[in-house]
Amino acid sequence: MAADAGGGRAVSAALHWLGASEAVRAFAAKTVSPVELLTALLERIDRLDPALNVFIRRDDQAAMAAARVAEAEIAAGRIRGPLHGVPVGIKDIIDVAGLPTTCHSAVRAGHVAAADAVCVAKLRQAGAIIMGKLSTHEFAIGGPSFDLPFPPARNAWNRDHHPGGSSSGSGSGVAAGFFPLALGTDTGGSIRNPASACGIVGLKPTYGLVSRRGVFPLAFSLDHVGPMTRTVADNALLLDALAGHDPQDGGSAVAPRGHYAGRLERGVRGLRVGFVRHFHETDLIADPEVAAALEGVARTLAAEGADVRAVTLPTLGEFAAVNRIILTSEAWSIHAPWLRARPGDYGQLGRQRLMAGAFLQAGDLMAAQRRRKEMIAEVEAVLRDVDVLLCASSMEPASRIEDAEATGRTYPRQARTPFNVTGHPALAMMAGLSAGGLPLSVQFAGRYFDEATVFQVARAWERAAGTDRMHPSL
Amino acid sequence: MMDIVLMETLAGLAGLEKALAEFPEDVAAAFRQAGGHRDVMRAPEAPEAEPWPPMQAGDGL
Repeated sequence: MAADAGGGRAVSAALHWLGASEAVRAFAAKTVSPVELLTALLERIDRLDPALNVFIRRDDQAAMAAARVAEAEIAAGRIRGPLHGVPVGIKDIIDVAGLPTTCHSAVRAGHVAAADAVCVAKLRQAGAIIMGKLSTHEFAIGGPSFDLPFPPARNAWNRDHHPGGSSSGSGSGVAAGFFPLALGTDTGGSIRNPASACGIVGLKPTYGLVSRRGVFPLAFSLDHVGPMTRTVADNALLLDALAGHDPQDGGSAVAPRGHYAGRLERGVRGLRVGFVRHFHETDLIADPEVAAALEGVARTLAAEGADVRAVTLPTLGEFAAVNRIILTSEAWSIHAPWLRARPGDYGQLGRQRLMAGAFLQAGDLMAAQRRRKEMIAEVEAVLRDVDVLLCASSMEPASRIEDAEATGRTYPRQARTPFNVTGHPALAMMAGLSAGGLPLSVQFAGRYFDEATVFQVARAWERAAGTDRMHPSL
Repeated sequence: MMDIVLMETLAGLAGLEKALAEFPEDVAAAFRQAGGHRDVMRAPEAPEAEPWPPMQAGDGL
């Protein structure tokens, strides 16, 4: 594996590669201040974002004002929370008070959010600094596209390639060292796709663990908000800040909040890991480099003491069909008035994908929801025998962004939708680098509300492979 | 072979006349996508198979 420390400098000396956990420790030790960190990040964004298009809207002034306040409070010993002074980027379907929530679409021209989404309010309570709004696919489904009001984000590892989506700015910005933390959303894999393409850590939490109130919906029963970071520890830290019941979110679960980083360093000895080989060996045929990387992850976990065994779930094709019937039916119910009156305000991909729901019938939706419940039971049965599932995320590295045919062909070649259908927590992260220097990916999924075990396994792989020290050269 | 008459009829019923006039290829693509999803899914055979979410009060999942 090749690793780069960022222009040849040591990672430890580069402020832009500081993780959230490291930044908080540095603030406490007074070796770095929130203003110094934010200044370094803004300078890096000034220099690099014109080529990556991560931001739709920067909020430098408010961010710097918040950093100055955080610096004074930390100096005075008044710590607001576990993310005090840490910068974070927000996918632009999530409301930040006073800023537009464009959803990367002309349809939303003129919109300004009146209040923070619950997840953003929780970040502020934890002391985080909101840097601005990040590129997405149009309404989290139509992209990557060149016919929208803002250009698509590009991959920090190679700007000629797509960064995955729909949380594309979140993925590329974290990978590029623009911010250590970002929020994404995931309805059919939209956190884990960019995490896979950009070599970072992205978690779709258990359905209902993180409030969706103040997030523009794509499909109510499949939507999740989740953390995107460069390390597993930071992902657990961010989830700690986000999780919790919201009585005003109809899908919110009443569940005990975990201390998600509590078991990070325990290793995997004795854990049972179910390897879903058929996802990438028969349901879809993965690129050989991806297949080899997945075997490497399985071997490494076994060498660390895990009991790795093959397991069988329903096929990817059926998961994808159930996901898409539910997703497009629910999305059509939201977008129908706009698609009828102003279809030209959508980009072509968004228009095509969102109109699909118009051609499904009530019986199709109910059949999909009934099959969904059966599939949940089938996955739950497997998770009674194993602690965590290991499987593919993307079947190949990211294609070239301007090759619409390749992107259209490879985007659906993925194993992420199963866990939107079932609601189980699922995390995607780097499994290595391709010969072409692009990230390869792996996915871990766990039992409902057992994100701690998913993190435990992910951290064991990260520690063994050193993926947290691998950054793009920019 | 796509049934164009059926597609146009369903698009009209859905109120997509404007989209059909301005973006006929996109409407056709959406129609094909919906059919593709429907073809792959296997509906439950058991009449008692209930939909998700479960029809019961509770604390979520």
